[in-house]
Amino acid sequence: MGPQTESAEAARLRRGDPEALEELLARYQHRLYRYLLRFARDRALADDLFQQTWLRVAQKIRQYDPSRNFDGWLFSVARNLAIDHLRRYRPESLDEPVPGDPAGEPRHARLAARGPSALDRVLERERSERLVTALGSLPWIYREVLTLRFEEEMKLEELAEVLDVPLSTAKTRLRRGLEQLRQILETQASPGAWS
Amino acid sequence: MNEHDAIRELLPLAAAETLDEKEERRLDQHLLSCSDCAAELGQWRALGHGLRRLPTPQASAVLLERTRQQMRAQLADATERSANPWVMGFLVLLSWTFALATWPIVRFLTAGALGWLDMSFRSAWLGLVGYTVLGWIVAAVAAIFLDRRPAGRRTA
Repeated sequence: MGPQTESAEAARLRRGDPEALEELLARYQHRLYRYLLRFARDRALADDLFQQTWLRVAQKIRQYDPSRNFDGWLFSVARNLAIDHLRRYRPESLDEPVPGDPAGEPRHARLAARGPSALDRVLERERSERLVTALGSLPWIYREVLTLRFEEEMKLEELAEVLDVPLSTAKTRLRRGLEQLRQILETQASPGAWS
Repeated sequence: MNEHDAIRELLPLAAAETLDEKEERRLDQHLLSCSDCAAELGQWRALGHGLRRLPTPQASAVLLERTRQQMRAQLADATERSANPWVMGFLVLLSWTFALATWPIVRFLTAGALGWLDMSFRSAWLGLVGYTVLGWIVAAVAAIFLDRRPAGRRTA
């Protein structure tokens, strides 16, 4: 939430103004969905968690403290719901990394269908797919820290707040997450193939 | 752990742009004389760059619309629930005011036939106890009735 609109919006939210909440939904829909999908690795579950998060937000919005960063609050709500869900229905996923399956049509089929200018895009997409697959095979504590830092571009302090851990722990998770991700990528392909 | 190994541990964090000033100075100093670490940092930065450029998955329009509708219903429900105690308080106050204000008229119209319902100061406590017990009984019956309603009707 930007500083200019923050106080006016916070006041509308505390009144339970549906328009204000819908504006928030529009603003955060992609970011929140991406975070939940990276966390859950399953579209149906991400959809479910997405809905639950916004319902919880609608329920708790009157208790939102505007002095607190809204991004952090929203992602904390989503994270708590996701962890509760995994703990209840898929406890094994909180401990064990599950390798993902590389999806999509074969590379040669895509290359044959496109001209040279499309080649870069295909390779880029392939690199992204490989990276998403590798990210998906990390334990959830590393997946979430990497997505919050690199995709959500959260500062270390915000990140620690969402994860509810000290700054040093957030930093350690970030480093270990990157190290594991690189290790996975390097065992899948030649070093630097993703760069 | 020697300086070189310590710096190696900082490289992923440098790619994540989460080093503090002291660590950054230390890293810069080391990179001036270590081409291996400089090359390694390049690899980490490429990985960070790749993560930042991952395509963003989109929530479907159906999901968004469904979420929007549920959110509106939830808000309306929360608004109603927060207003309920005030409405109840207002109704109780209104009924007491109405009863007290109309009592002289009722007495006049019934030509004093209901005079035995007049509350004297001596029997006021008895009246209060009677009203309180009656209120509890009504509330208990209402609670039992509401609890026995089918779940579907309660959430509808």
